[in-house]
Amino acid sequence: MSIAISDIKTQELYSPDISEIIAIKRFTEKEKWFEIRLPEGRSLGHQPGQFVQVSLFGAGEAPISVTSSPTKEGSFELCVREVGMLTKIFHNLKVGSTIGIRGPYGKGFDVESFKGKDILIIGGGIGIVPLRSLINYVIDNRKDYGRLIILYGAKTPDELLYPDDLKLWDKSNDIEYHITVDQGTPEWKGNTGVITTLIPGLDLDLPNTITAVVGPPIMYKFVLMSLKTKRIPDKNIYLSLERRMKCGVGKCGHCQINHSYICQDGPVYHYPELKHLQEAI
Amino acid sequence: MKKYQLNKKQLPSFIDHLKKQGTVFAPHKKGDASYSFAKVVESDSVILEYNRTLNSIKKYFLPPRELLLSYSRKDNSYKKGTIGKEKKIFLGVHSYDMKAVLKLDYNFTEGNPEENYLLRRRNSSFIGVSFIPDEFHFSQSVGMPVHDTDGFDIYLEKNDDGYTVKIITEKGEKLIKEFNGLCDALDISSNHIQFQNKLKYNYNRLPEVFEQSWNAEVWEEVAKRCVGCGTCNLVCPTCYCFDVEDNMDLSLQNGTRDRSWDGCMLNDFAAVAGGENFRKSLADRQRHRIFRKFRYITYITGEPWCVGCGRCTAYCTAGISIVDIVNQLCDEYEQKYLNRPVEQSGLNLEGL
Ligand SMILES: Cc1cc2nc3c(=O)[nH]c(=O)nc-3n(C[C@H](O)[C@H](O)[C@H](O)COP(=O)(O)OP(=O)(O)OC[C@H]3O[C@@H](n4cnc5c(N)ncnc54)[C@H](O)[C@@H]3O)c2cc1C
Ligand code: SF4
Ligand code: SF4
Ligand code: FES
Repeated sequence: MSIAISDIKTQELYSPDISEIIAIKRFTEKEKWFEIRLPEGRSLGHQPGQFVQVSLFGAGEAPISVTSSPTKEGSFELCVREVGMLTKIFHNLKVGSTIGIRGPYGKGFDVESFKGKDILIIGGGIGIVPLRSLINYVIDNRKDYGRLIILYGAKTPDELLYPDDLKLWDKSNDIEYHITVDQGTPEWKGNTGVITTLIPGLDLDLPNTITAVVGPPIMYKFVLMSLKTKRIPDKNIYLSLERRMKCGVGKCGHCQINHSYICQDGPVYHYPELKHLQEAI
Repeated sequence: MKKYQLNKKQLPSFIDHLKKQGTVFAPHKKGDASYSFAKVVESDSVILEYNRTLNSIKKYFLPPRELLLSYSRKDNSYKKGTIGKEKKIFLGVHSYDMKAVLKLDYNFTEGNPEENYLLRRRNSSFIGVSFIPDEFHFSQSVGMPVHDTDGFDIYLEKNDDGYTVKIITEKGEKLIKEFNGLCDALDISSNHIQFQNKLKYNYNRLPEVFEQSWNAEVWEEVAKRCVGCGTCNLVCPTCYCFDVEDNMDLSLQNGTRDRSWDGCMLNDFAAVAGGENFRKSLADRQRHRIFRKFRYITYITGEPWCVGCGRCTAYCTAGISIVDIVNQLCDEYEQKYLNRPVEQSGLNLEGL
């Protein structure tokens, strides 16, 4: 193999755009929501399910999913869970602070090909973050899609994200919304139990339903088993994977599973593709 | 192809001639038993007869540590690192290290062509030299003939009086132009150099073995001895994974974002916040390392991503041999999938 390297146009891959935080909300003890404005209010131009590399000088970079829909213009949103150094520093930033943004990166949900279909969303914990981009996209293009069914599960009621959105989804006649927590509190009136308990009761138009699943690694095994029992064909399932990432552009090797770089071919995968990748789930 | 004869005593003046045209990098002696590529200062300190350098010339295109950005936290501004555009001439490169550069070209241009790599890589010329394989080389088994000149501009083939100089590209022609003192090529062949075929299967049969090797026993066996030091990654000419890290200066106002070589054999390579590690065990990591050389990229490009330099074996802290690993995979494959008894291969697989 020989590549004529002098003919190739190079790309500046590691230079972030310095962007401004224009709004912040705290959702839970661990999660905060940030609204970000790129230079000149440029639009990010992402697909639901894609991520950006957030850059905080001194702390490094971290991949974070875009949680707003591409239909929202002028700014985009992130939701960050505090788990380590970078995310902790991020949480301490104030409105008006600047951060670096690279991206959007990876492959998101192929919303074009979902047109006309019913959309079943299954989000566990922080998995709802990228799914919320898809949900809002479908809501903003409501006539292009069939039913919108949302299953959302969290460990406890205190860990539920997006309180305003949840109220909207709950009230909307156009959205079938089911929520559960692993462990309730005395005030909790809703379902308790893991997210898979919501699946058997669904009445679905099987061949016409696209399922988008995002959650912690352990959730996938159980959800996929339930979906199988429910006879949802594999080809109608999409899921998003998480791995360590350093570059986001297919160079550093950290996110590799088999011959696939998650930052390039994922994070959203069509399930039939993943079945051939050992180590994926 | 044009050919000339370069006599041994002309070598220093040939190197001086090259130095007029760019910065020359060539092998030098390092310590008692080791060699290393370095910038040529004294032409007569260059050594063209060597078994292998500790690191390949990859270090010039993907430096072990490289500044990506320097930033100021005061106003969140940054500058990119600058990359020199000097002309580089690499002299005395072995065929497998050249092949490895061609493979890195693929990795750094595929998808998103990376500026840092390409700016360093451009303006380079390569002068290869033949070598006598030692007990660790196995390039033949991964598809390279003894005198593989792929990628070279000039190739020096050793003979009794010096070297047969083979001009391979126009760039090579230009490098040698105006060097007086080359004689007509002697009519001697140096086909006495032999590679031994060390892998049990030829490289183009390995995909069928690797297709069945995910659950092979060898991974656990190797893991018992491997200490997870990552040396095999660092010395490999086709390993390119890196880490990125921000470093602050003492003022805590300014700092740099640096990338450095990383290795998939290191424990936290695939670890994420919250305690999940996607390749926790050494067996998982060994499999990943070897699959990266023989299956993953191979699946896409059809080529093995190991060039048979033998470094990972020669420098392994625990004496683990990649040839033995692959051969044991072949044996397991034959036993389990072809139902054949294991042939006595004569290789020492004990304690692997
Ligand atoms: C595609 C993708 C989308 C993500 N989306 C979100 C999101 O929307 N919200 C959110 O809160 N988190 C998200 N994460 C996880 C988030 O990237 C990590 O929590 C974060 O990198 C941790 O950084 P830290 O410095 O705080 O933690 P540390 O443990 O100090 O991490 C050190 C470094 O390790 C790497 N790293 C650690 N954990 C991860 C991880 N899970 N994934 C990738 N790299 C990691 C990063 O390079 C990080 O800078 C996403 C991860 C991926 C891969
Ligand atoms: S050099 Fe040897 S001991 Fe170290 S990680 Fe590689 S195989 Fe294991
Ligand atoms: S895997 Fe080992 S033998 Fe193969 S190219 Fe890398 S260091 Fe050389
Ligand atoms: S994050 Fe670097 S290759 Fe995917």
